[in-house]
Amino acid sequence: MATRAQPGPLSQAGSAGVAAVATVGVASGPGPGRPGPLQDETLGVASVPSQWRAVQGIRGETKSCQTASIATANASAQARNHVDAQVQTEAPVPVSVQPPSQYDIPRLAAFLRRVEAVVIRELNKNWQSHAFDGFEVNWTEQQQMVSCLYTLGYPPAQAQGLHVTSISWNSTGSVVACAYGRLDHGDWSTLKSFVCAWNLDRRDLRPQQPSAVVEVPSAVLCLAFHPTQPSHVAGGLYSGEVLVWDLSRLEDPLLWRTGLTDDTHTDPVSQVLSVATDGKVLLWQGIGAGQLQLTEGFALVMQQLPRSTKLKKHPHGETEVGATAVAFSSFDPRLFILGTEGGFPLKCSLAAGEAALTRMPSSVPLRAPAQFTFSPHGGPIYSVSCSPFHRNLFLSAGTDGHVHLYSMLQAPPLTSLQLSLKYLFAVRWSPVRPLVFAAASGKGDVQLFDLQKSSQKPTVLIKQTQDESPVYCLEFNSQQTQLLAAGDAQGTVKVWQLSTEFTEQGPREAEDLDCLAAEVAT
Amino acid sequence: MNEWTNTGREPDPLPSFLPGPTAPGLGEPQAEVEETLKRIQSHKGVIGTMVVNAEGIPIRTTLDNSTTVQYAGLLHHLTMKAKSTVRDIDPQNDLTFLRIRSKKHEIMVAPDKEYLLIVIQNPCE
Repeated sequence: MATRAQPGPLSQAGSAGVAAVATVGVASGPGPGRPGPLQDETLGVASVPSQWRAVQGIRGETKSCQTASIATANASAQARNHVDAQVQTEAPVPVSVQPPSQYDIPRLAAFLRRVEAVVIRELNKNWQSHAFDGFEVNWTEQQQMVSCLYTLGYPPAQAQGLHVTSISWNSTGSVVACAYGRLDHGDWSTLKSFVCAWNLDRRDLRPQQPSAVVEVPSAVLCLAFHPTQPSHVAGGLYSGEVLVWDLSRLEDPLLWRTGLTDDTHTDPVSQVLSVATDGKVLLWQGIGAGQLQLTEGFALVMQQLPRSTKLKKHPHGETEVGATAVAFSSFDPRLFILGTEGGFPLKCSLAAGEAALTRMPSSVPLRAPAQFTFSPHGGPIYSVSCSPFHRNLFLSAGTDGHVHLYSMLQAPPLTSLQLSLKYLFAVRWSPVRPLVFAAASGKGDVQLFDLQKSSQKPTVLIKQTQDESPVYCLEFNSQQTQLLAAGDAQGTVKVWQLSTEFTEQGPREAEDLDCLAAEVAT
Repeated sequence: MNEWTNTGREPDPLPSFLPGPTAPGLGEPQAEVEETLKRIQSHKGVIGTMVVNAEGIPIRTTLDNSTTVQYAGLLHHLTMKAKSTVRDIDPQNDLTFLRIRSKKHEIMVAPDKEYLLIVIQNPCE
């Protein structure tokens, strides 16, 4: 038997050597059935060299990687404890005087015995002392002149030629609102007009741009702010409606509205009192959803006016008396003075009980409020004002150019001053000086009267308009007492700063006012 | 028990809790208080009189409630301040009387350990 073993021609190093394996064929004897010529033969091992390893070597590339540097920072956090707190002011609880049982009367008596002599001695000395004669202290800077602080106007209203018909200051004295309309149209007009308000305490006050504007479908004749709520204002329209707006709500300022007949004047107390030329005096109260509801009504009928003076006409039938101006007394909240078209002021009370003889339709029974009639002016009265310092005095101004000073105790006026040859549209007492009042005239000026200095001619004459167009309304600011606002026919509102002599009370003024009021003819 | 201490003014002839007929002018304490206050009030030019206790609560007054409470609170503070001012300048000194003169009237305060007497006078010449 031959064995052949030969290594392959390309045997590699390292590769597994192909070992020749030889098997020895064993010549076996004749096996059972195996033919003799068939013999086993062993061949050499055939090795096949690997091809892929030769062709493709090991390729190597160098790569490196590195993590970016880790940025670290220190921060700390701490949970904070929150506490909510609210602050609210409450109306002060009235403290009352201690009743006698809670203190020791004998000790009080002893104390009084001790101090009485000292006190009486000091009182006597004071009464006779001349130490302080002519001694005056000035705490504030003296202002000598009256100057115009602001000139406010609303250009769209001025472009329509609207007049300023009414002005009001709000309860905090920082906002002045004016109503636009026309006072010389005799008929119904569908003129759209405006109510504008300027906040004088804001630093970015722009005189031609009011901080709140309300568009109103008809001319507004009169305006009044709520006495305690700083943003509620009521206005009476030419169409006879009374609307109440809330100026702090910018989207829909209208709060309440009502429907009426004829033009009105309003004067909010805490409800709204409206006065109209058809002779009705109505008291409205706001109820929930936007309606002003009539709570009480009064009607002025000629028949029922108290005959305390001789009125020139003796009317027949139930003619109504138109009311054009209203003023509440500062001392008695149920007492008010009405100025009428006939020129005579009426003293009225909210508590009147007698029913009115009128056939005017009304949802509430009408009563006759008039208690006393004063002697008339020569023409309709446009403005009435009650003195804040004396319970019996009031002023009235009318188209005859006169201002009458009345005392509620007698019918003829105490004095009558001729201020102007044209109409007088507004008269107001000063809130700080008992003897000062201001009047707005049809000649375009505002006259300030000081009854202490001169009762014949005005102390200061302020020219509001250059072309003598009339000044229709004026109001003192009761919080910032040196400000006076006046509105005229050119559609501008001017805020005047008064000189110090109009804003500080002198020492004897209240007594002088009392003397004036006491000149009642007996 | 409250002890009554002498404040250094002239001593009373009798202890006050024994009203007796022996001292002239000492009637019922209540009536005496009324009479004294009425005498002061009816003096020339006096607008109002009030007695305030040591805490500033008014005890007797001739003015209306709100005005009284206002005067009592404010003048009580002012009197305490004035008293401490005098004592700070000189510890041996003490406040005996306080007068405030204003444009319209004069306010006089007579202080004491327990009470204050406030009188408002209008010194019209």
